[in-house]
Amino acid sequence: MFSKKTTEQIECENRPSHLGIKSFYNNPKHRGWIYQSFLFLFLIGFFYSIVSNTLDNMSAQGIKSGFSFLNTSAGFDVLMSLLPFQTTDSYLKVFTIGILNTILVSIIGIIFSTLLGFIFGVAYFSRNYLIKKIAIIYVEIFRNIPVILQVIFWYTVFNALPIARESLNFGDTVFLNVTGLYLPLLVGESGSGLVYSALIVAIVSVFLVKRWATKRQEKTGEQFPILWTSLGLITGLPLLALLVSGVPFHFDYPALKGFNFRGGITIIPELISLAIALSIYTGAFIAEAVRAGIQSVPAGQTEAARSVGLKESKIMSLIVVPQSMRVITPMLNSEYQSLVKNTTIATAIGYPELFTVFAGSVLNQVGQAVEIMFMTLVIYFCINMTISFVMNRFNKRSEITTR
Amino acid sequence: MKAKEFKPLPAQPAPVSTIGVIPWLRNNLLSSPFNITVTVIIVAALLAIVPDMLDWLIFSANWSGETQAACVKDGACWVFISAWSQQIFYGSYPDGEIWRVNLSLLLLAGVIASSFALPARLRNKVSVPAYLCLPFVCLLILDGSYIGLKEVTTDLWGGFSLNVLIAAASIIIAFPFGFLWALGRQSDMPFARSVSVTCIEFFRGTPILALFFMGSVMLPLFFPANVSVDKLLRVWIILVLFMSAYMAEVFRSGFAAIPKGQYEAADSIGLGYWQKTLLIIFPQVIKVSMPNILATFVMVFKNTVFLLVIAVPEMLQVIMAALSNSNWLGGHAIEGYLFVGFIFWICCFSMSLLATSIEKKLDTSHKN
Amino acid sequence: MTLAAVGLVVAAQSSFAGSTLDAVKKKGSVSCGVSTGLAGFSQKDEKGNWSGLDVDVCRSVAAAVLGDASKVQFKPLTAKERFLALQSGEIDILSRNTTWTHTRDTSLGLNFAGVIYYDGAGFMVSKKLGVKSATELDGANACIQAGTSTELAIADYFRENKMSYKAITFDTSDQTRAGFESGRCDFLVSDQSQLYALRIGLKDPSAAIVLPEVISKEPLGPVVRQNDDEWFNVVKWVVNASIEGEFQGVTSANAKELQANGKPGQKRLLGSEGDLGEKLGLPADWAYQVIKQVGNYSESFERNVGQGSPLKIARGLNAQWNKGGIMYSPAMR
Repeated sequence: MFSKKTTEQIECENRPSHLGIKSFYNNPKHRGWIYQSFLFLFLIGFFYSIVSNTLDNMSAQGIKSGFSFLNTSAGFDVLMSLLPFQTTDSYLKVFTIGILNTILVSIIGIIFSTLLGFIFGVAYFSRNYLIKKIAIIYVEIFRNIPVILQVIFWYTVFNALPIARESLNFGDTVFLNVTGLYLPLLVGESGSGLVYSALIVAIVSVFLVKRWATKRQEKTGEQFPILWTSLGLITGLPLLALLVSGVPFHFDYPALKGFNFRGGITIIPELISLAIALSIYTGAFIAEAVRAGIQSVPAGQTEAARSVGLKESKIMSLIVVPQSMRVITPMLNSEYQSLVKNTTIATAIGYPELFTVFAGSVLNQVGQAVEIMFMTLVIYFCINMTISFVMNRFNKRSEITTR
Repeated sequence: MKAKEFKPLPAQPAPVSTIGVIPWLRNNLLSSPFNITVTVIIVAALLAIVPDMLDWLIFSANWSGETQAACVKDGACWVFISAWSQQIFYGSYPDGEIWRVNLSLLLLAGVIASSFALPARLRNKVSVPAYLCLPFVCLLILDGSYIGLKEVTTDLWGGFSLNVLIAAASIIIAFPFGFLWALGRQSDMPFARSVSVTCIEFFRGTPILALFFMGSVMLPLFFPANVSVDKLLRVWIILVLFMSAYMAEVFRSGFAAIPKGQYEAADSIGLGYWQKTLLIIFPQVIKVSMPNILATFVMVFKNTVFLLVIAVPEMLQVIMAALSNSNWLGGHAIEGYLFVGFIFWICCFSMSLLATSIEKKLDTSHKN
Repeated sequence: MTLAAVGLVVAAQSSFAGSTLDAVKKKGSVSCGVSTGLAGFSQKDEKGNWSGLDVDVCRSVAAAVLGDASKVQFKPLTAKERFLALQSGEIDILSRNTTWTHTRDTSLGLNFAGVIYYDGAGFMVSKKLGVKSATELDGANACIQAGTSTELAIADYFRENKMSYKAITFDTSDQTRAGFESGRCDFLVSDQSQLYALRIGLKDPSAAIVLPEVISKEPLGPVVRQNDDEWFNVVKWVVNASIEGEFQGVTSANAKELQANGKPGQKRLLGSEGDLGEKLGLPADWAYQVIKQVGNYSESFERNVGQGSPLKIARGLNAQWNKGGIMYSPAMR
């Protein structure tokens, strides 16, 4: 028996051996490794030269290095901090306060920008001409102006409020003036623990009820008035506990003493302006994303929903919005991340977030640019990775399950 | 049996007119109690704000004069803007040499226009090199010392033209980098992929303000001791890296939009990797990514305002500097900010309109 | 081509590792780090021309070294960038109302070449508050300009007097002024020189008063790199020459006349006698050029911050030593 060789086999066998190197190179796998080793060598060289240059320069210019500065006392005041702070506290404390302030304004911004975004994104489809136009104007104005200008604008608006002695007084409990918004503070006395635990119980039971209701609906098709039940639970239980324990709370009202208001909660105008500006700016982008998301849902879905007799309000919440979330969520992810990055514009109005207070004031006193910028960048990077992680988890749930 | 008498039903009223002013109002503004309330509130708010605003902006504003003393009326002091207009648009670029800035802007406009106007056959061969050369040609023109013109050092460049030119120069150079990173991100080579992903995520995950800052206070330490790189060049490097990360993501979604068949077809006619990528995939990616590229450009353009934190005399920084001039003390800040906001709005809005129209055009071409 | 263009720019900007004086002579201009805009000290006008007390230092150096006060490249810097820009060789002189402190002089690899303005942090309050002294400011909000040593001075002062305050820090002086004017803060802390500028920027300057307390020493002066004594000497003596010029009565108007037939001291200063210039590595008429083109210290002061400017700051500490101030030039011989 003999088999006929294909031309390819013959060519392979007859291929001269000196082409071995070329064929080695032509193998995509080998070539990949060659490219990657070049890249690797390049990167090694690149980073080596950067590090050695930096070290040389720093020693030549007498710049100190290392992180020991973090333990030195700051010596300056920070406008707002979520932790108690004194001018004698360390730079590390300033760093922590900066991170907390960044996270605070980011969370506020994310909540309100999402609200604004969804309101205006849905308003785009309103039948009222004015509402629709205002939704369009809102998006087109606010996303096309640099956000730093918007922060300065809102801060200027806040500066037009009356001074502390002539503050706007809302029933002697809430005060608004150029130095900030003053709210009464709810102070818990002994026995308030019962109320807190009642609240926790209420929240847990809402989750349980919801799970049960979903199961029942899947089985029997019957719907359960989940919204009203949850509202009842969340307000009712703590209220009951409140009455049982004899109202163990009082309000600490702000009052004008000396130059300023003392007591209560103070929300500084820098925080308010920054939060407003970021919410409105990012809200415009989210509105645009929501609009695109809703438009991406085929009209057939709405028509089908109508044909099975769903109410108009149910069509939006049960059919259109859940499907549009697939388009909206990835966009929300990047908008949230850019919101966090944009908190750095606080430096224009002096809200003491990480960038202003750490990469600003501290850097100015210490002068160790490399360490300080490194720490700052790492924090922003971590916050954004967290957002990305959460949003990707969320996105997994709304993805189409392909069969 | 008596035959049933024919009784006509009473005539129905004529259908409600759906054309004309009143029906339009009824349908669009007053269709339900909720809509009526909203309409009334909006109209009242507009009536309360708009007249005062117009009065301040236009009717009682100060339009003519050259110094602060000319601002006597209650309204806005636009004299501030007109007196500083050269600084605002051109920075401190010398008087007699401003044509060079204009020429650079014209070149930019020309290259952009040509890339749209040229027939498809020439587009890739002419426009791509034209784009890539443009930043360096502008650099030579603006600097001048290498082409026999009067040298104008970078500290004199500034104003709005700087915002435009540096944004354009950054995104152009970010094109090849971004494309490379995007290719790296979806390549089979594990090391190259992780390097690309790290670059992209790093520059996307950190604030541009902090990156600018890094460019201003950290980059000088990265270079050998006897080399000091011009500040504007450092800023450019930072902007390019930042934009590359964003462009890489734009290209990635572009790659995802190209049908698999295109890759397979290219493979089947025996094209190599680079031939396939540059001749088959790249032109299509550019086409479908155009709206996103424009959106990215709008973003970098708006971000150039942040350069003010490192004292690069871009438009807003000029306004800030003008406000601290001892002949202009007294705060025309609002006028300045409004003006900057207005200019940026015009530019960004028209670009977003352009992006929308391109998107629409692309949409139909895909359906056919 | 692209690489070439980048290379050209890099090469054009490379600093010279050796002597700054030679480098300046070679490139024909002085790179001068100034602030982005500080009334009276360094400010740009509508035409892009820089002026101010800090700016005049650089112009004087250019006049002395290159014979032309206009050969200066101004590089606006933020407070955070300033020292690094000097260390990395991007600028030759830092003249950006920088306070001479022990830490800066010793730990940053820099040298302060003299004092051109004796300043100190002070307070401005609204007249309506009825405050007469800074000790009544307990619990008040303070508007502070970021990136200044004032931030530390005020913290010390309030701790010392066992008072509390809230610091609201602004990036630019205009924002600081706006914050004060709107009532965001009860008082404003800044270098006294700036308080005057901020005050005349108010809509109603008479509604605010500057309190008598001066809570810190802020001697402002030009800075150069360490280990370059030649350049250090040039800047130091250019500053001294303009102070000495005022003391000797030499002005831009009479410099030419006095160079030919002045008193011996005047002639030595203006280079028609002695070899002061040669010892610095400068032309003999170095100080003549400084005074002729930029003016003596008094002229520069009055033009930028004094009676000839909107700021109208009195000489005070900055008068000559024989006129109640502490401006004193070492002997020119």
